[in-house]
Amino acid sequence: MIGSTPSRLLLIARNTFLEAVRQKFFNVLVILSIALIGSSNFFRQFDFGSSELKFIADLGLGSILLFGSILSVVVTAQLFFSEIENRTALTILAKPVQRWEFIVGKFLGIFFVIAAFVSLMFLLLAAMLYWRESTLMENLGGDFTGGRIVQYGGILMMALTELLKFGILVAITLFIASFSNTNLYTVIISFFVMLICQLQYIAKDSWGDLENPIVRGIVWLLASIFPNLQMFNIGEQLIFTPVGATVEMSVYFGIVGYGLIYIVAFLGLSAYSFKNREI
Amino acid sequence: MSEPAIRIKELTKDFRIGVRGVKLRAVDNVSLEIGDNQIFGLLGPNGCGKSTTMKILLGLLEPTRGECAIYGTNSRSVKSRNNVGFLPEAPYFYKFLSGRELVRFYARVCGVAKDEIGDRTESVLELVSMQNAAHRRVGTYSKGMLQRIGIAQALVHDPKLVVLDEPTAGVDPIGSHAIAELIIALKERGKTIMLCSHLLAQVEGLCDRVAIMSRGKLVLEGGVDELLEREDQRSLIVRDFNAEAQAEIEAVLEKYGSKLEKVEAPRISLDRLFLAHTDKEAIGSGQDVKEKEGK
Repeated sequence: MIGSTPSRLLLIARNTFLEAVRQKFFNVLVILSIALIGSSNFFRQFDFGSSELKFIADLGLGSILLFGSILSVVVTAQLFFSEIENRTALTILAKPVQRWEFIVGKFLGIFFVIAAFVSLMFLLLAAMLYWRESTLMENLGGDFTGGRIVQYGGILMMALTELLKFGILVAITLFIASFSNTNLYTVIISFFVMLICQLQYIAKDSWGDLENPIVRGIVWLLASIFPNLQMFNIGEQLIFTPVGATVEMSVYFGIVGYGLIYIVAFLGLSAYSFKNREI
Repeated sequence: MSEPAIRIKELTKDFRIGVRGVKLRAVDNVSLEIGDNQIFGLLGPNGCGKSTTMKILLGLLEPTRGECAIYGTNSRSVKSRNNVGFLPEAPYFYKFLSGRELVRFYARVCGVAKDEIGDRTESVLELVSMQNAAHRRVGTYSKGMLQRIGIAQALVHDPKLVVLDEPTAGVDPIGSHAIAELIIALKERGKTIMLCSHLLAQVEGLCDRVAIMSRGKLVLEGGVDELLEREDQRSLIVRDFNAEAQAEIEAVLEKYGSKLEKVEAPRISLDRLFLAHTDKEAIGSGQDVKEKEGK
């Protein structure tokens, strides 16, 4: 009577998902994001022309990045520590469940939550862009001689890379939670790490100019350990130019692979760290 | 020879406290064997190492030294937990699930075959008298109901060993009595039960064997009767006691070299008195208002 690993992972993931979507915090963030993306509608009175579409896309992507990052870090920390503090983890881990299954199950549950959030937001963004683009095409036909300028397939591809970026954040937060003692510590350190990941390209760029071998070594190490989240910021290229024009498919799949490798690596570290944690 | 339900060998557990590497010894060289189909009570004051021992046994903590085995399988191995059901102290479960969903969830986690999950779930819900409240969300349960649904989740995969940490803590005497009866029923079904409790009167009535821990060490272990009985004394219960007969009884006892120590009226326990004057139907009620009004 030993259940299969996939079924246990899905069970833990399902419970995590249900617990997350019942949280007020999640619902508030979703409403705020919808409000912010929806509010781009009010900028039509400025008549920006086709650059208005870029503005809507930027506002939408910015909202998704901001609220998605908050969601990834805060919900992950909350769900992990609620299991530990409420001792529901005790009853699950006292069953024939491996510690890594618990961690991966948690990750999958939160990943499904983020996937639901990202899908909803990108759907809304695509709808806003389509609706505004149609209106502009009627009013300013000259700018649209070559047809629609928004690449809706690119929006779908962008959604996947955003999801992977948030996946990395969830995995990093889980790793920090696996050895830390409090929810607050986890949230603060995770945001700090997120900041490093957003800015690590600066360190990478400056690596070649450094003369001191020790500093150079440290910068190299930091740039190798922390993922470069800037790599995922390819929104404008994907949304406004056809695939292949500025972003080659091979580059795109390279970014997807890069995200997956970091997710697996941080999950591995989380599982190793959690294995030795005293519950 | 069959393996004992639990074998603990020279178990020691140190906790590191602070950053200077100061260690606190929670369990100190404990060795213990618990045979199959027994009710075993692990007793001791708060902080004596009972829960730590239990957690090591369940694979939730790594021992510093020594080892534990459940039916011969080292408790570090996940496989050992196929044979264990565990009810933690003051259990907390996913509030958004109903009692039935919760038990089904744990059945699936334990790998109970799909076609058996329904029957197993209903069977354990009936065993803990929770079938009437199983459709309600766990968040609406009383403390006693939480304990009973906790026992149901511990039993759903039909383990040979059931570990109960303070199963009656905070539960009223009716609920506590129901849990005690359930523990006896589990023994009759062939289970081994390891019980941690501060309710010594209940432990005395339930357990075949007990062990007492103090400051991380095992200080006493044995059968309840053998530990509590005074070998050289016996009590006689006399119906229609006649005070005049006492002198004659004393004389007879003296003739055989014995001595009457004390004459007192036997008392029933407060628990029994309480149970005799309260509604047993209340045990495991959880009735809906609709059902109650329909009666």
